[in-house]
Amino acid sequence: MNHSSTANGTADSLEVSTKAVEAEIRDRSDPQHVLADRVAQLYRQMPIAIGATFIAGAIATFELQGRWLKELVLIWWAVVVTFSAAASLLLYAYYRSADKVASARDWLRWLAIAALGNGASWGLAGGVFFRSLSDEQQVFLAFLFAGMASVGIPVYAASWPIFALYAAGILLPFFYVLLTFGNRLFVEIALLVPLFYAINVVIAYRLTHVFESGYRLRRAYGKLTQDHQALNQRLEGQLVELEEARRQVEASGRKLALFAERAPIAVLELQPDGTVSEVNHAAEMLFGYAAAELVGGSAKKLVRAEFHAEFDRTWQELLRKRESMSGLKIRNPRRDGIDLICDWTVTPLVNFRQEVIAVIAQGRDVTAQLEAERMKKEFTSTLSHELRTPLTSIIGSLQLINSGVMGKVEREVGELTEVAERNGQRLLDLINDILDIEKIESGKLALAPELIPVDALVEEAIVLNKAFAERFNVRFDWRGDPQRKIFADRKRLLQVMTNLLSNAAKFSPEGGVVEITSADAGGNVRLAISDRGGGIPEGFRGRIFGRFTQADSTATRQKGGSGLGLAICKRLIELMQGRIGFDNRPGGGSTFWFELPRQHTA
Amino acid sequence: MPERPLNRVCYVEDDEDIQRIVRMSLERVGKMTVAVVSDPTQAMQTFAEFKPDLVMLDWMMPVLDGPALFRQMKLRPETSSLPVVFITARASQPDLDELKLLGAAATISKPFSPRDLPEQLRAIWAKLP
Repeated sequence: MNHSSTANGTADSLEVSTKAVEAEIRDRSDPQHVLADRVAQLYRQMPIAIGATFIAGAIATFELQGRWLKELVLIWWAVVVTFSAAASLLLYAYYRSADKVASARDWLRWLAIAALGNGASWGLAGGVFFRSLSDEQQVFLAFLFAGMASVGIPVYAASWPIFALYAAGILLPFFYVLLTFGNRLFVEIALLVPLFYAINVVIAYRLTHVFESGYRLRRAYGKLTQDHQALNQRLEGQLVELEEARRQVEASGRKLALFAERAPIAVLELQPDGTVSEVNHAAEMLFGYAAAELVGGSAKKLVRAEFHAEFDRTWQELLRKRESMSGLKIRNPRRDGIDLICDWTVTPLVNFRQEVIAVIAQGRDVTAQLEAERMKKEFTSTLSHELRTPLTSIIGSLQLINSGVMGKVEREVGELTEVAERNGQRLLDLINDILDIEKIESGKLALAPELIPVDALVEEAIVLNKAFAERFNVRFDWRGDPQRKIFADRKRLLQVMTNLLSNAAKFSPEGGVVEITSADAGGNVRLAISDRGGGIPEGFRGRIFGRFTQADSTATRQKGGSGLGLAICKRLIELMQGRIGFDNRPGGGSTFWFELPRQHTA
Repeated sequence: MPERPLNRVCYVEDDEDIQRIVRMSLERVGKMTVAVVSDPTQAMQTFAEFKPDLVMLDWMMPVLDGPALFRQMKLRPETSSLPVVFITARASQPDLDELKLLGAAATISKPFSPRDLPEQLRAIWAKLP
């Protein structure tokens, strides 16, 4: 049962595959090409047809002449020769033609005409001569016709309609002559003629199909071979490309490995479970372990035990998110037990199924950097406190002496204590400015902006700088502004104003006036401080808001100041969403101005 | 504004140089009566004996710093209402805000000018309730 069903199945599948093959063959063979193949086969057989016609015609002419119809036979012979010549010309034209495929149907038509002509020339002989011939000659002619019709089968087998035309050309007149001869035997023979004709046509028909399927198969095979070759070529091309790609991947892999190996930062390749699978030279140098001591072990060897739980948490997060993490500061113990602090960037490598297959960890030793940052902070704090405390005593003592409350001192002593006080103050200003700049640039300056009436602000700034005005014998001129308000940090804005007012006072001529004015400037309020000093020298204008800049060093000695004042002003004003600048005044002197928002802006 | 003028000031400060300058400033320029305390732990006793109008506290001191002493003063009825002015070289805005909240009268930052200090204190005194 099983066996038979299996056998059936196999037979079925064979049948199916045969049908499939036939369909495949039909698909792959171009009908036009198959037709052209058949036409070529027909033309190849033409010499046989021409030769046979010529020879048989010659024999017939020889056999039939010598009677009263000698002239007629010769005319017939001329017709046969002419047809043969025309057929030869056609054959010649076909072989010379460059276009055998596209116009195959035309060539077939011409051949059909030639075949009909060929057949009809024999038919002519039958129709014209038969009645007048002797019995023997009649037998000869009948035999000749049968032979010629039979010869047509192999010659025209590639196209049965052509054979049918050709044979009809021979047999139709003969059939008619036999039928109308008035002889019972001949009528009987005549009746056999269509049968003979039909059988021959059927044979030709079958042969045509054999030819056709043969050519179709050949075409399909050719196409298949072609496809196969093309496929092979493509495969070969792809193989070459693949090989090239593999080589490139290998090369870039080697390059990457080289980069990692020679990189100055520690690079570790870790497995998803945290096992170290590779380390570079820098990692060996940094942690003091040989690669063999780390590879195969857990990465936790490089993490202090008390941080293992944190390490696990971060690791799980990394595996879950499958995204690179950077800026991880981890305390890594070296082989000798000394802790390093490294800044790690860890990157999970993910395959096409989104599984983490490895983690690349790159670590940079930032111990020294962090230490430097700590020291800088400590230094800033020291500057702030430890330097200011003694300066308080120094400047305070000198101020008390110079104020005269401690009693009169000798004039020259007094001059010296004033020099000491002035320079102590300068040192203090410098320290304060440096601290300010440091604070601003490290982004640690917290501003508390509020709406401030301009009038009160300027008044307060003038009071704060009264000492400067007196010292340089300058008058601050302010007409008042009861309306305007600005949005700024009060303390820091006073610092800016103090800087600008003291600068203006310092650089004004003796007995000069420093004008302070306010105005609208778009959505901002502009405050301007103008003096009648020497103006800003051409070469100094570009860097006036830079650090440690003063127009000339004698000014520093005479007038004091750290050279940081305007740099601080610029940064403060910009932090408060404003801008600062200066213009040279017509008629001498300069105007320093800043603009700040009228109200809080996002 | 208190009825009488500012006269008796007690200054708690561990740095003897600054002590001296402040004493001279307040006595000579400000014509005030001054008591200075070098050891903040002794401050309470001095307050009780000297009975100051106003107390000045240094921020940074060993053992007991200014803010801590201030908190102690707030806990005692006899010192809780004394006006306190802080002298400081380094204080962040949040620190100052906290002191204001606790009831400090004012803060004066180091370095201060001994010439102007009496005037500054009198201005603070004048603003007291």
